[in-house]
Amino acid sequence: MVDTPAEANDEMAPRKEPRVDGRRLRSERTRQLIIEAYMALVRENAQMPTAAQIAERAGYSVRSIFERFPDLTALRVAVTDQAIAEARAHAALRDLDSPRATRIKSQVEQRARSCERWLPLWRVLSKDASQSADLNKRITMIRQLIVMRMEMMFKPELSSMAESDRRKTVLALEALTTFESWARMRELYDLSVEEAIAVWMRAIDRLLPANPS
Amino acid sequence: MDSELQGAPISKPPRIDGRRLRSERTKQLIIEAFLSLLREVPQMPTAVQIAERAGYSVRSIFERFPDLNALRVAATDYQLAQALALAPPRGADGNRETRLRSQVNTRAHTCERGVALWRVLLQFADQDSTGQLKQRVARARETTVGRIELMYRTELSTVAEGERRELLIALEALTDMESWARMREQHGLSFEEACEVWIHAIDRLLPPTPIVAAAAA
Repeated sequence: MVDTPAEANDEMAPRKEPRVDGRRLRSERTRQLIIEAYMALVRENAQMPTAAQIAERAGYSVRSIFERFPDLTALRVAVTDQAIAEARAHAALRDLDSPRATRIKSQVEQRARSCERWLPLWRVLSKDASQSADLNKRITMIRQLIVMRMEMMFKPELSSMAESDRRKTVLALEALTTFESWARMRELYDLSVEEAIAVWMRAIDRLLPANPS
Repeated sequence: MDSELQGAPISKPPRIDGRRLRSERTKQLIIEAFLSLLREVPQMPTAVQIAERAGYSVRSIFERFPDLNALRVAATDYQLAQALALAPPRGADGNRETRLRSQVNTRAHTCERGVALWRVLLQFADQDSTGQLKQRVARARETTVGRIELMYRTELSTVAEGERRELLIALEALTDMESWARMREQHGLSFEEACEVWIHAIDRLLPPTPIVAAAAA
């Protein structure tokens, strides 16, 4: 980390404590609290909150929201970024080298946790996302991250397929494990988390080709 | 048949109520204008836009539909009826591949024509205090699942009830309207390529076709 001479000299010099810009820190903190208030309201009410509701929950004025975010779409974008960062932190790859059954279970359980946690926010954020290029970009990125994770978890099976079949299988896996698919199982068919997990596990097992012996 | 005619009073041809016919025709043109606007721009058009496209006044729209929600309900009924008329179950007794191709082709056409309206339905379903939109959404889903059950009954009948239910849920998710839209809009697949994705996946999801049924088909 300190390989270059210039940096080494800096190391030798007497060190000043980094200056803490209190005002900036407070402003960041306010921003963060507004984002958290937005997320909490969506989890409770499953709908897009108004500026007044967000302000009340965060303990600030409506004006202070719009001092930090030009409009509610910009706030939605910031909330999405926060959600992506949190979801990524919770979705560390596990069991990559394990047998097929373990990988299917691990992937489905992680995806199920993710859907349970993020479904209300996903619905609010993805609603009319096409109206905002920034939001749309992030929605696409979330979908790509979900697909990339599946591709890594099922690499042994997918890499045994011809490219065209591999692509078809990945698209099918994506369709099967969307937030909407999870919501349908839980809300429309009234399946428990375990039952819904079983549906996905069995379907993925059927979609993937047999493992090369 | 002759005996039925004997003694029967000479029936008058039914009277055609021209005014009613015209009104029905106007209603239909308003619905068609609404649907065509939706296909062009996938969001709820305004009453002014619908009126302009249909060639009527805004007032004449609200003479026929009390509000835009009633128009959405009527448009959904129209599209559901059209989908059923255009897509009778074909090849239900064919071999596995014939049935796969037939079901996927029908569903693909329904999705291609219906995704814009479907999105509007889902968007407004929660705000519809009459519950009519939710009812239509449920009916559309039941029709789709019913068709899947009919077309793959040979394969589905070979598994236990629990597994059959799981399979139907997975098949429904796979062939969802948004699944189709994603392939077409985001992944840039052609109609045929997207059909191939579904055929490939359904074929893998379904259990093997029983030998007796395969031989008979």
